[in-house]
Amino acid sequence: MKLGKEDLISLYRKMVRARKMDELTIRGLQEGKVLSFYHSNQGSEALSVGGAAVLKKTDYLWAHHRGHGIGALIGKGLDPKGFIAEHYGKVTGSCKGISGFHMAEPEDGILGAGGTIGYQFPLALGNGLAAKKAGKQQVVLACFGDGGSNRGTLHEAMNLASVWKLPIVWVCDNNGMAQYTPIKDTYPKEDIADLAAGYNMPGIVVDGLDIMAVYEAVYEAVERARKGDGPTLIEAKTARYRSHSEGSPDVSHTQTRSQEEIAELKKRDPVESFKEKLLNQGILTEEMVAAINREAEEEAAAAEKFGVESPPPDPSVIDNLVYR
Amino acid sequence: MKQTIYLAAINEALREELRRDEKVFVIGENVQQGTFGTTSGLVQEFGKDRIMDTSLAETAVAGAAIGAAMSGYRPVADMMFADFLYIAGDEILLKAGKWHFVHAGKVNVPVVVMAAMGGGMKIGAEHSMCPEALAMHSPGLKLAVPSTPYDAKGLLKTAIRDDNPVVFFYNKGLLGLPGEIPEEEYLIPFGKADIKREGSDVTVVAISRMVHLSLEVAEKLKNEISVEVVDPRTLEPLDIDTIIASVQKTGRCVIVDEDNKRCGVTAEIFAQIVENGFDYLDAPIQRVAAADTPIAAGFLEKHVLPQPEDIEKAIRKVME
Ligand SMILES: Cc1ncc(C[n+]2csc(CCOP(=O)(O)OP(=O)(O)O)c2C)c(N)n1
Repeated sequence: MKLGKEDLISLYRKMVRARKMDELTIRGLQEGKVLSFYHSNQGSEALSVGGAAVLKKTDYLWAHHRGHGIGALIGKGLDPKGFIAEHYGKVTGSCKGISGFHMAEPEDGILGAGGTIGYQFPLALGNGLAAKKAGKQQVVLACFGDGGSNRGTLHEAMNLASVWKLPIVWVCDNNGMAQYTPIKDTYPKEDIADLAAGYNMPGIVVDGLDIMAVYEAVYEAVERARKGDGPTLIEAKTARYRSHSEGSPDVSHTQTRSQEEIAELKKRDPVESFKEKLLNQGILTEEMVAAINREAEEEAAAAEKFGVESPPPDPSVIDNLVYR
Repeated sequence: MKQTIYLAAINEALREELRRDEKVFVIGENVQQGTFGTTSGLVQEFGKDRIMDTSLAETAVAGAAIGAAMSGYRPVADMMFADFLYIAGDEILLKAGKWHFVHAGKVNVPVVVMAAMGGGMKIGAEHSMCPEALAMHSPGLKLAVPSTPYDAKGLLKTAIRDDNPVVFFYNKGLLGLPGEIPEEEYLIPFGKADIKREGSDVTVVAISRMVHLSLEVAEKLKNEISVEVVDPRTLEPLDIDTIIASVQKTGRCVIVDEDNKRCGVTAEIFAQIVENGFDYLDAPIQRVAAADTPIAAGFLEKHVLPQPEDIEKAIRKVME
């Protein structure tokens, strides 16, 4: 799979947009515009954007909870306005302000999001089953974290997905942490991808800070799934630059993560390092970088304005909504 | 007496019981740091083997606690959000709850399953529930729902010493609530309601955070209507006698809870009052509870969860 110049620029643009939206959401929380809470995606953009960018509109996507799916939404080509408005609790949000921070865009293969980490495994299994039955070459990209990989639902779903040879790509965002608990204390091996062997599917470890590596690995796995060759497990080693959720302590068990540790992780910032690479290769120029930044800022400002100016939902939006 | 807050009272109960009985341990996700502060600071005294951070795996958390309880320990499993009890439904409802009975009393499960329930944070359908009815509906489980620091500490200590499985739901909306507790050790027995405010015109049976909303309304109405607020404190066992005695005195009753109205705790208490005290009632009982919808987030939360205005309206209705 060879990414062309335009593809690379498009990926970079999406990463910058995802970062700006993340910053906007953090600010919104601080300013009281975001009503619920927020789990920043910073450090994980190469994976969230790059993985979803491989998909077609008709493919299914279960975004990882980090960033409440913002990277994946942008990666798949969605307008982030509905994301911001949802976080602001407004009626123009993806779910009219009812979910608060979960997106649902069924037309684009996003069938919702849940609050219980690991909920997505069995549902993705069902999407894969439906995709196979329908025979339309759709693929399911099911994203989760290292913490999520500890859930028992993973076993049940991965097992059957392999038995049934379903078109599912399991993508693990391993940032080393699950809230305050490091994965090294909850999983006995180095690589979560090693789980794949037990389910007789390929298990691939990829540099999750390198969007090209992510894109290529996901692309291969998606092609394989589309051909009917069954699921793949991809583990991307990413980083978490901020605390688990905004305002919560940044600790490993009870030990505060040091500034040095975070600075070390940031040395390979996925957005910055991709920019450097594309500048070095002459694919991007400084002018282009500035323009992309400006556009992303304008987009964020427009989304903010849209969110602020949109009305809150009338309480009647939830009337008669429990059943169809 | 000394001043404390709700979460610190819970923390103190755990600390005292951990000191008292080496079979007690705390297990759950991120309990060393503590998501809601209730388990914070314990690892420094008791170490990682007794304050155990687990993987993100509620089935394993509850299962490990229940299995260890069957094997002679007295674990406290922290499930973080009460909504996550559903993930360990088999372990908590079908195993911990049933096994003493189905094995003819040969097996004991002295576990405490604790979790934070309740709305107010506007964080939607899967992080705001009060799934009290889930536990109350399941034979074999006891259920404590403290509304004050005093009750929280006394009930949690009793829960840990109980030879039965106890679900202990503390309320996210009360974590910082101040209150007094005795300097010396104390326990609060299960099945004993507490009259949080005496009154003569209407009985308000209120649970957990709803106690405080009801007290607020009672205060507001004090020159017009004399409201008695009864806090059951435990829902299994339920002190129906104290509730009936209050209804006998007032002749009117409002039941307030944050779980769903349909098949919720208010429905059960309603039924028991009617069964046992129908003749005392001068007006139909009113219920104030969460709407029978999932809990909406953000601005919409207040349209789903009970508000003080709803309680006032219900009180006025029974007084008509
Ligand atoms: C079933 C369940 N358990 C616990 C939580 C609380 N929680 C939310 S995110 C999270 C950590 C998830 O870790 P991981 O899957 O590694 O993703 P990360 O946040 O590190 O990106 C926890 C414990 C939850 N939402 N659902």
